[in-house]
Amino acid sequence: MAVVQPDYGSAPRGNTDAARHREKIKEAIRQNLPEIIGNEAIITRKENQIVRVPVRGVKSYHFIHNQGGAGGGFGSGEAQKGKVVATRPKTGSGQPGKPGGEPGVDYLETEIDLDELIGMMLDDLGLPNLQKKEIEETSTSEGWTYNSIEKTGIRPRLDKKRSIKEAIKRTEILVGLLAKETGRIEEDCRRALDMALGDYAQARLILDRTPAFPQGEARGGPALASSDLRYHAIEEEVRHLSNAVVIAMMDVSGSMDTMKKYFARSFFFWMLSFLRTIYKHVEIRFIAHTTEAKLVDEYEFFHKGESGGTQCYAAYDLAGELIDSEYPPSRWNIYPFHFSDGEDWDAEQSVLSLKAVLRRGVSAFGYGEIQTDYSASILMTAFERGLDMQEQRSDGYTYYSGQWSSTPLLGMIIRSRQDLYPALRVLLRTE
Amino acid sequence: MTRTEIERLNEADRLIQEIVRDMGLDFMSQEFDVVPVEKMLEIMAYRLPVNFSHWSFGRDYESERTRHEHGFGAPYEVVFNSDPARAYLMDTNPFAVQVLVMAHVYAHNDFMKESRHFQRTRRDMISSASEAAARFREYERDYGIDAVERVIDAGMAIQWNVDPDEDLHQESEAAARDRIFGWAKPHAPRGAYEDLLPRPPEFPTDQKRELRKHTPPEPTVDLLGYLIEHSPRPLAEWEKDVLSVIKGQALYFMPYRRTKIMNEGWATYWHEKIMQRLFKERFLTTEEHGLYNLYNARVKAHNPRAVNPYLLGSALFESIEDRWNKGRFGRDYLEVENAEARERWDSGLMKGRQKLFEVRRTHMDWFFVDEFLDRGVVEDLNLYVYLEKERDNAFESVVEVTAWEKVKQYLVQSLMNWGIPRILVVDGNYKGSSQLYLKHVFEGLPLDEEYCRKTLGYIHELWSRPVYLETYEPYLHQLRAKLYVADEQSIHVHEE
Repeated sequence: MAVVQPDYGSAPRGNTDAARHREKIKEAIRQNLPEIIGNEAIITRKENQIVRVPVRGVKSYHFIHNQGGAGGGFGSGEAQKGKVVATRPKTGSGQPGKPGGEPGVDYLETEIDLDELIGMMLDDLGLPNLQKKEIEETSTSEGWTYNSIEKTGIRPRLDKKRSIKEAIKRTEILVGLLAKETGRIEEDCRRALDMALGDYAQARLILDRTPAFPQGEARGGPALASSDLRYHAIEEEVRHLSNAVVIAMMDVSGSMDTMKKYFARSFFFWMLSFLRTIYKHVEIRFIAHTTEAKLVDEYEFFHKGESGGTQCYAAYDLAGELIDSEYPPSRWNIYPFHFSDGEDWDAEQSVLSLKAVLRRGVSAFGYGEIQTDYSASILMTAFERGLDMQEQRSDGYTYYSGQWSSTPLLGMIIRSRQDLYPALRVLLRTE
Repeated sequence: MTRTEIERLNEADRLIQEIVRDMGLDFMSQEFDVVPVEKMLEIMAYRLPVNFSHWSFGRDYESERTRHEHGFGAPYEVVFNSDPARAYLMDTNPFAVQVLVMAHVYAHNDFMKESRHFQRTRRDMISSASEAAARFREYERDYGIDAVERVIDAGMAIQWNVDPDEDLHQESEAAARDRIFGWAKPHAPRGAYEDLLPRPPEFPTDQKRELRKHTPPEPTVDLLGYLIEHSPRPLAEWEKDVLSVIKGQALYFMPYRRTKIMNEGWATYWHEKIMQRLFKERFLTTEEHGLYNLYNARVKAHNPRAVNPYLLGSALFESIEDRWNKGRFGRDYLEVENAEARERWDSGLMKGRQKLFEVRRTHMDWFFVDEFLDRGVVEDLNLYVYLEKERDNAFESVVEVTAWEKVKQYLVQSLMNWGIPRILVVDGNYKGSSQLYLKHVFEGLPLDEEYCRKTLGYIHELWSRPVYLETYEPYLHQLRAKLYVADEQSIHVHEE
């Protein structure tokens, strides 16, 4: 037969060699981090630790011609001179793709551990890779508990089971010892020890004096000596808490288009991923607002647009209520973060409402303003004035920072996807 | 795949063979293996069913998988020039697609059996690569993965710098010197025109002594082979083996590279005819034929940023057939200036098929496109040249040239020498101290500097002594010479 279905043993060479290649493209990933953090493929994957990242493969070098300029090539299909037949985003580094039969210059998706990706970012930011020991913990007393055992104590805390175990242990050791020393059978040694109430010297005397024991029932169980007694130790029970909640607020009015939401989304995602490396338990709640605010789920938060105006204080008020009802600051590290395009019909009130939130005791407050050429930046201006936030610059990136009592405040301006990464840098540094 | 499905594929195989024979195609015995998706992707990435390990194959594997998972939707076909020829079918494909691939494969088989460019390639490459993979594993164990990888990296960088026709003119260095410098013994005249052939120049004795030492006796494009034979490093036996395997595979794939448009065009031209027959003979249901049409359209889809060889190749064969059926070639036809008369021209020659078989036997892409790409095909397919232009945060591919003569000129230029810059080994004992002097034959395009530097780095790694590369590039409407030097310290460039 000419067509057969042979059984190919599973020798996944592709995957092993792909792993080798992945090692080599780590460098490429490192160079393209700003691109990658703005990428949807990562943002939509939440629980999965392995993420697929589109990267440019490591090049295979050989002699090739240079087409001149940014390159070019041949194509076919309906097109007139001047028509744009394809558009590719620029990458963070390197040259644009070379055209033609160059395998490997194309983008490919590679798998990478999300933690590793975060690690690379922290590395790049010059931040320590935070380990468990640095986890911020708050502790509360939960009453009393028995957790360990001690040799002295009061009668009511006697641990009978542990005491009998100790007695059995001791008896077995002594029986073994007696049998070895005297050469008598174990049964006799046990009887003698029993008669001597557990005293070793006494038992030896009894054995010496009694060449043979009469047949009969041995007394049940080993005798308890005072050294066998064990007591429960009493301790205060402390619950270690390492909780954080991000209260994500966003203007979902008509002026927030897909791109702006996309920036906000990637930002929240990375903030969450980052907080998960610091806290054991991280929650996120979503508050969408126009002139009114409501709690929504993630999908609605990022996908639904509503018509209407913008009053940011509605979101801050709701955040305050949420903190009061579900996230007492004694047990939670609270991070309210707000994204808008700067529009606000009542910025004065927003500042007041925000102060009310800050007064409750949050860990930090962040505000991200996604600006376009037409943005009014009303809210940031109000914060600048009302909360005394100062303009700062870092590596060419402009942001605002300040403090309200001891709570750090951060205002980030995001104009394009290139600003995401510096904004995250600033955020993490403030952390 | 169930037994019945395999059975039906075998039935298709028998039918296709009958049809193909009837159509006048010739083929070596053909075998098909039905394989899972991963294996298929692996074969495509590794170029052979079993091949040695290298990160670049792993990269291509991920790249193939990405393409596959994002549903580019074209059926995959892989067939190897072995005897019997071996092809692979992906087990997830619907029946109609399997039959399409099989029909396509039989035409490839004919091509490999009949094209003169495939005549001298080895037909045991599948087992040979598998044995090499086993040897390479031993080398990895004995010398370390990194050491083996370095040699493979370097070898792969110059894998195409070989002489595709080396077996046509194999001779020892001594024989070459005899031929070039006229030291060969006088022989009987080889025909009446012997005296018209160029005579070897006469050299004075002391110059002969110099020339005798010169290596290579005449410039060669076989850079990889020259390094294997002459590297002063010297290379260990296992390193030579690794490089020889890479060279062997490059030579094996060279005919594919030289005939990509023809080979795919030929297979596409025929699978359409075969599928039509299968439908007419009611072997395929209407639904299956519909599905085939869908996939066939994907096979022949336009690509805005590349020339689809399936599309261009089959269009060229269709055009040749039509022209030779109607006698639309030669002086009589070409001298007709009236467009309408040309349009009506039909001498009733009916030599289309005959011409097709002839062309598939002799041509390769470079000459195929040069000879047969005409205004009609360029304009039918809307072939164009685009340029990459930078705009804001993106690169845009913008259509730049659509005039057919220009498009053709550029396309032929890109196929020239199968797209590989010609690098000659000029002197393997430059400055009398085992330095290597290479020369780029400038044919209109300069070398890419980044790629050039990296590649020279690899060559230097294999050669160990300084390596020079002389090239040219356009500068202020002139050409200026450029000399790359790769030595221990760095790779630097001298410009004129």
